[in-house]
Amino acid sequence: MEIDDPVTNGNTDAVMTESAPPFTPSPPVPASRSSQLTESLKLEHQLLRVPFEHYKKTIRANHRCLEKEVASVVSSVGDLADSNWSKDVTVSRLTSLVSRLQGLKRKLEEGSNVENLQAQRCRARIDHLDSADAENITEWNNTKLKRILVDYMLRMSYFETASKLSESCNILDLVDIDIFREAKKVIDALKRREVASALAWCADNKTRLKKSKSKFEFQLRLQEFIELIRADSYKQAIQYARKHLTPWGATHMNELQRVLATLAFKSTTECTKYKVLFELGQWDLLVDQFKQEFCKLYGMTMEPLLNIYLQAGLSALKTPYGFEEGCTKEDPLSQESFRKLALPLPYSKQEHSKLVCYISKELMDTENPPLVFPNGYVYSTKALKEMADKNKGEVKCPRTGLVCNYTDLVKAYIS
Amino acid sequence: MDPIATVKDGFNQVAKRQKHYHSISQAVTDRAFEGFVESLVQILTKNDPKTVLTELKLKLDSLLPINHLQESQKETNTSLTKFEKVLGKSDVFPASISIDLDHQLVDKMLVEYLYRQGLFEVGELLIKEAEVEVDDQLSEVIARSLEIHRVTEPLKEKDTEPAMRWISENSEKLKEEASKLELELVSLKYWEILRQRKRPEALRFARAYFPKFASLHSVKIRKLIVALLWVRDLENYPHAEELFPLGWEEASRELTKLYYNLHDQPSSSLLAVALSAGVESLPRLLKLIRVMGLKEEEWGEMKELPVDLELGDEFRFHSVFVCPVSREQSDVYNPPMMMPCRHVLCKETILRLCLCCSTRRFKCPYCPAYTTASACRQLYI
Repeated sequence: MEIDDPVTNGNTDAVMTESAPPFTPSPPVPASRSSQLTESLKLEHQLLRVPFEHYKKTIRANHRCLEKEVASVVSSVGDLADSNWSKDVTVSRLTSLVSRLQGLKRKLEEGSNVENLQAQRCRARIDHLDSADAENITEWNNTKLKRILVDYMLRMSYFETASKLSESCNILDLVDIDIFREAKKVIDALKRREVASALAWCADNKTRLKKSKSKFEFQLRLQEFIELIRADSYKQAIQYARKHLTPWGATHMNELQRVLATLAFKSTTECTKYKVLFELGQWDLLVDQFKQEFCKLYGMTMEPLLNIYLQAGLSALKTPYGFEEGCTKEDPLSQESFRKLALPLPYSKQEHSKLVCYISKELMDTENPPLVFPNGYVYSTKALKEMADKNKGEVKCPRTGLVCNYTDLVKAYIS
Repeated sequence: MDPIATVKDGFNQVAKRQKHYHSISQAVTDRAFEGFVESLVQILTKNDPKTVLTELKLKLDSLLPINHLQESQKETNTSLTKFEKVLGKSDVFPASISIDLDHQLVDKMLVEYLYRQGLFEVGELLIKEAEVEVDDQLSEVIARSLEIHRVTEPLKEKDTEPAMRWISENSEKLKEEASKLELELVSLKYWEILRQRKRPEALRFARAYFPKFASLHSVKIRKLIVALLWVRDLENYPHAEELFPLGWEEASRELTKLYYNLHDQPSSSLLAVALSAGVESLPRLLKLIRVMGLKEEEWGEMKELPVDLELGDEFRFHSVFVCPVSREQSDVYNPPMMMPCRHVLCKETILRLCLCCSTRRFKCPYCPAYTTASACRQLYI
């Protein structure tokens, strides 16, 4: 069954937009590599996105800073010119402006350096993706494997192991240990029922969160409000609401109203609608929401990459034979732990017969056709010929012990 | 169009624009700086601050290419957004079923992988950080990997002593594959000695180790001995590459495989095998899910995948017979049957062709021969 792309059905998933015209003519790429690259590039989204987000943030911050400074310097000059200070005052004012400009220049240079470093990181990763070709494909895949493992370790918070592994395998610039450490700090704080770090994180990533219309900050503020109510500090709660909750009122009026109503109830209320707001489980919801926002920001999958690849692999390897006794040790499904993991997964589908010789473990194809014993057991020609050469033309079936002559064997035609 | 080239181009655009922006911003600050300094000097020498300042203000307004700055900023921003589009949206990633993977199992597999790769420190760290329970199976794996590491690590320094010792200790169990490997190691070591131009030592080494291979591999041994004459010019020894079909690294890998086979263990980390299978099959799986319009967990609820994910042959561990007529996989209840004309079909197809009557004749779908169901033999693959 061929998979054809559907022509209908509003398949709105993002497809690699290759609309940007090439700026330099590149040599024609063989179709197989191109399609494989497209797919694998989609899966590597996370790799490129993280350094790019940092780079973008720095660029934008530098833009804003420069704009502000230039504007203020120009306006100060304007003020000075319009006002009527004495010569000395003017001179001192002007000198301070000059030193301000010097400071600005320094800041610009520093900013530019930081940007360059980040741009380098981005480039290094793009180059890494580009470097996969036929000769070093095994090594490249090896590196990919290690990257997947580091990603898993980071998400499980095994930070030391992840750093040691990245160091030992020289993949430090292909992994992002720092952002996960930051995330862990925020999550730990939330688990301790403190919103400060989470709010700082939101402030740090304000523009991005606004673009995705996230209401995470709103939820954090609501939770703080509820905590104030729980501590019975109603006045503070109202002040807090005035300061922090009103800006969100325009967009999230219903929720705001519901939470504000808790002012009328105490934290030990039995009314279910409001009781749920006071439950400690709300903090866990916040942790989950943070994880979601975090992953969305950096284009990461919610699950570790390892889970995804492992499940795909297990399903592709799952055959009924894998669960039998006497299954070869090389098959991952021969081991109990893998079988457990593969239990809920679908079996793989086989389209064509593929016979593996019991003796030599080689594939039986037209160059090495299957030979059949009188009792129906099948082995490859090469293996049986070797056996016959060593035993004066006699062959023995390893599974049943039947002995016969090589000439008694019959070739089978399996398509 | 190579997608990576597109990404690269997009990124280069961004970098170019940003560089441009920086040069403009530098020009702005420099010019402002000069203007200020000049005005300062003027004020200090002359006496009328107001006119100087108004002059400065006018100068600034005309000199400073603030418009350029803003334009450049805008351009950078557009190239940023374009690049983001090229990167594409964070794509469909449904390939996880809602059942969480038992991470304790995964952690154990991870420890095994690390030890097999020789990353012992990392393995220890993991055991500590993940609080992995080191049961008997795991400690056996650890012990084995340490043992084989002691043998293969010296090979990196081209020291074949431990490897040779291990092979000779286990020679009866290893038999053939080991002797080929032994020859390879011996030849590699000999070559290394020759490269260091230690002729007498090479000769001694040859006398000690070559004799037992002399009968079966006489040609190779002869070539190796003759190489003694080429000591000064070893790179130009004709057909040198044929002498070492494996090389140091491959030989080390083969040795590791042999070791694990001897102890009835899989020759490579099973986690690595499963993950490599995943890496190879995931693109097709994602395409399948997208084409079928499945949601996240739904793919896991299928009993069998509808499409062949086409893994490479290195992942083929079992024979599979697929009947060419019914396209069904054979199993114990539906085995392959060979007809007298040597073509093979599954039992159910044959029963269908002969309408369940074992003496009724039917024609083979592949050749003009007629046969009956009772004449067919069951095959055991």
